[in-house]
Amino acid sequence: MATRRDFLSQPAPENYVAGLGRGATGFTTRSDLGPAREGPSDDQMKEMLAKRAAQLGLDGAKKDKDDKEDDGGNDDERFQDPDNEVGLFAGGVYDKDDEEADKIWDWVEERMDRRRRQREAREQAEREEYERNNPKIQQQFTDLKRALSTVTDDEWANLPEVGDLTGKNRRSRQALRQRFYAVPDSVLAGARDLGAMGTTVADDGDASSGAGGGDSADGTMTNFAQIGAARGKVLQSRLEAASQVSGGDATSGSATSIDAQGYITDLNRLQMTEGQAQVGDINRVRELLSSVVKSNPNNALGWIAAARLEELAGKIVSARKTIDQGCQRCPKSEDAWLENIRLNHDSHNAKVIARRAIEANNRSVRLWVEAMRLENLPANKKRVIRQALDHIPESEALWKEAVNLEDDENDAKLMLAKATELIPLSTDLWLALARLETPENAQKVLNKARKACPTSHEIWIAAARLQEQLGQGQKVNVLKRAVQVLAKESAMPKREEWIAEAERCEEEGALVTCEAIIRETLGWGLDEDDDRKETWMDDARASINRGRYETARAIYAYALRVFVNSKTLWTAASDLERNHGTRESLWQVLEKAVEACPKSEDLWMMLAKEKWQAGEVDGARLVLKRAFNQNPNNEDIWLAAVKLESANDNEEQARKLLEIAREQAPTDRVWMKSVVFERVLGNLETALDLNLKALQLFPATAKLWMLKGQIYDDLGKVGQSREAYAQGVKAVPKSVPLWLLYARLEENAGNTVKARSVLERARLAVPKNAELWRESVRLERRSGNMTQAKSLMARALQEVPKSGILWVEQIWHLEPRTQRKPRSLEAIKKVDSDAVLFIAVARIFWADRKLDKAQSWFEKALVLDSDNGDGWAWYYKFLTQHGTEEKKADVVTKCVLNEPRHGEVWQTVAKHPKNARKGVEEILKLVAAELDA
Amino acid sequence: MGTVVLPHLNSGWHVDQAILSEEDRLVVIRFGRDHDPDCMRQDEVLYKIADKVKSFAAIYVCDIDQVPDFNVMYELYDPCTIMFFFRNKHMMVDFGTGNNNKLNWVLEDKQELIDILETVFRGARKGRGLVVSPKDYSTRHRY
Repeated sequence: MATRRDFLSQPAPENYVAGLGRGATGFTTRSDLGPAREGPSDDQMKEMLAKRAAQLGLDGAKKDKDDKEDDGGNDDERFQDPDNEVGLFAGGVYDKDDEEADKIWDWVEERMDRRRRQREAREQAEREEYERNNPKIQQQFTDLKRALSTVTDDEWANLPEVGDLTGKNRRSRQALRQRFYAVPDSVLAGARDLGAMGTTVADDGDASSGAGGGDSADGTMTNFAQIGAARGKVLQSRLEAASQVSGGDATSGSATSIDAQGYITDLNRLQMTEGQAQVGDINRVRELLSSVVKSNPNNALGWIAAARLEELAGKIVSARKTIDQGCQRCPKSEDAWLENIRLNHDSHNAKVIARRAIEANNRSVRLWVEAMRLENLPANKKRVIRQALDHIPESEALWKEAVNLEDDENDAKLMLAKATELIPLSTDLWLALARLETPENAQKVLNKARKACPTSHEIWIAAARLQEQLGQGQKVNVLKRAVQVLAKESAMPKREEWIAEAERCEEEGALVTCEAIIRETLGWGLDEDDDRKETWMDDARASINRGRYETARAIYAYALRVFVNSKTLWTAASDLERNHGTRESLWQVLEKAVEACPKSEDLWMMLAKEKWQAGEVDGARLVLKRAFNQNPNNEDIWLAAVKLESANDNEEQARKLLEIAREQAPTDRVWMKSVVFERVLGNLETALDLNLKALQLFPATAKLWMLKGQIYDDLGKVGQSREAYAQGVKAVPKSVPLWLLYARLEENAGNTVKARSVLERARLAVPKNAELWRESVRLERRSGNMTQAKSLMARALQEVPKSGILWVEQIWHLEPRTQRKPRSLEAIKKVDSDAVLFIAVARIFWADRKLDKAQSWFEKALVLDSDNGDGWAWYYKFLTQHGTEEKKADVVTKCVLNEPRHGEVWQTVAKHPKNARKGVEEILKLVAAELDA
Repeated sequence: MGTVVLPHLNSGWHVDQAILSEEDRLVVIRFGRDHDPDCMRQDEVLYKIADKVKSFAAIYVCDIDQVPDFNVMYELYDPCTIMFFFRNKHMMVDFGTGNNNKLNWVLEDKQELIDILETVFRGARKGRGLVVSPKDYSTRHRY
């Protein structure tokens, strides 16, 4: 700091130019304040510098140097250091050393300058020498160029063009020079008006108001936009008509070609489809058609079109005339004659025309049939048709007409016999003949027919059905031979076709034939592998869906003959019998089934159940006994037997059976059933005894622990019950129902705190379980802790977000009424599809009296999960309030069919010892009553 | 008092050296006549703030009669003029008076003066040539 401030104490150098040392510049703020200049002026500076130099005694040298530099181009400024060289050392003291150095430098520079001058002179000389030797073109013509300055402007302008003398590109250049101009509107308008007679008076006042102004005053104003629009419209309508025609005629594809026939048919169709024939159009088309007819008079279609046009125009007489001409021109055309007959339909001329037509072409079946139709009396008809048959004896259609006309059976038979002789390949005629003949003769006829057309399976089926009618269907196996023969002729229809035939036979009541067809043909064309089973099951199912139970039965029978030991097939067959057959046939099937698969307990149980349901308790017992013989020590059969006995109030018998079962098939299930049996009967002490024994054998069975707790509970021994649950929970910590029972016991005993801790432990043991969470929430809710319940629910939903029951709990108990719907929407989004949730939604709709929606949601839920008893009960309850009796009955039967076993309330009701012997319907009603709205 | 104590610049060379000598401080020079009452008042204020702003500004006084070299260059016609320089660059300040080149009236509020100095210093450090005064002086003085 101090050193910097030294200048304050130093004296200022002499001749210092203020501001020069730092290159200061001034400024001008306001001109009126006085003259302002940019720093020290050049004159000032020079003056100062001169003053300084003179003082230092360098005046002469400087002057010399300046002069020299002026000569040499005065580039002093250019080589100056950008950083203020002028004043860099200006403040320094100029001493002797500096002077000497300057002198030496001056000498060096002088010398360098001398050498440079010599070199430059030499180079200049060399260059001039070179240029003299090699002059540039530019320099050669310099004098001439200089002379150009004398040329005047006129002379410049009149310089001749240099023509393109090369022949190349001449044509393209010509084309380039050719030019086209747009014809002005006035010329077009003039051309338009040239030959036209003006029929309108140009309204000056109106026209002058238009945009055209003066131009429109003389009536030559042309609105080209409108003309263009009109043309567009015409084109559009033509295109539409064309597209209609081609659309209607897409199959023939003749619309685009110039084929006369196609064109005429198109025109016809156009006339017909449009329906509204305008006079102008008709005239135009008439001209067109007349030209067609003239140019091509032998084309019947042209004539027909012309006649139709006249008919359409309402001129029936000229139409007849036209078609008559047509018929004369083209007598061989069936169509023209038919058209003629059609046009003369109501007059007596028709018959005359028909005769002429037939004379012209007597082998036309259509004309003969038409002529026959014209006759009114049957006798005349017969005459005509016989004449026709004289001419065309090989026409099947004519023969059929003839037979149809015959009233007498014998005549018909004769006709058919003749017909079959003439046309032996017509299956229909053969079958018709066979149908008319007596059975014996029919057989003969069919034999002949078979010989005539060996590839027809219809004849074989007819033969089989004939045998059935004769009562010999079982004895003579026609179809077996049919299959052989048809296979030989390689005319075997496909399996599906055979099944269709069989179904048709069933429909017409020929059950034996139907069965025979299936029996002989079902295995045809299928590989000998296990795919056949699936194929046949599919066939049978399809037949059942079509309502052809006999066919299905036959298919099952055949399949079971092949796959005797297939349980699935037997089950399917028995299902068919149960649903669509008689009880006896069902029993028969099941008997056969248990014979075929004696090891299948399901089939045994099914049989026993059927017997029992039919009221034949003894029969059921017998069945079970046989089942025991076949499957000794099978717990299912034991338990079925016990159920049978207990259901029929044979308690002693049942108890004995259970005892034996416990000895012979000691499984946990048998033990459990024993305990339940005793409990239901009210023998709590015995039940407890059994239970304790069972628990020693199967300590890991949660249900046994539950039973123990419940029995103690029934006995009113809460303490022991609690102990039982506690032990059970230790032994089987993963059993959710056990935990729930334990918690409820505590809650019922009034120990809410204890129940809470039990549930906490349960959640630890079984994490992510929706039911445990729900129970926790309910516990809080029941004890009145709504806030706690809500917070628990939030946690629960975090842990188990996809649980329907949790959502239902929240929607129904933790939300205000208004929030229920949005909350349920959210739940459906989260959970997707859950039957319990659907039921809740349905109940919300029910509460809002949106009954249709509620019903549809109930049905959705039941479709989704038909095992949910609560859903059925809710629906039942809903229907008792809002449904019809039929609907209610329908739901009850469906429920009984589905036998629901789950559902929260359902389970508690159904498992209660009081309700142990009640049917599904009763339980449904009980549950519905139990449900709280 | 202030007029006497503040460092004087006695020649054009001294003025130039004062401006050139400061590397990172603002150089504030009061041009005027030492006997002028306006100048005396202004010097009083400058003296009082000199110590406060010494970290970023160096304050000098210069008698325009003694050093007439800059009178034309800097249009020094007013009785009292304050000019700012930073690293040999003349700093302009928009006081709203129409003359951005200098402060040519007597500013007796110390804080305002400090604020102006600080603003100029900050602007100068950022490479600005013109800064805007924190306060607008247009209506208060002569215009």
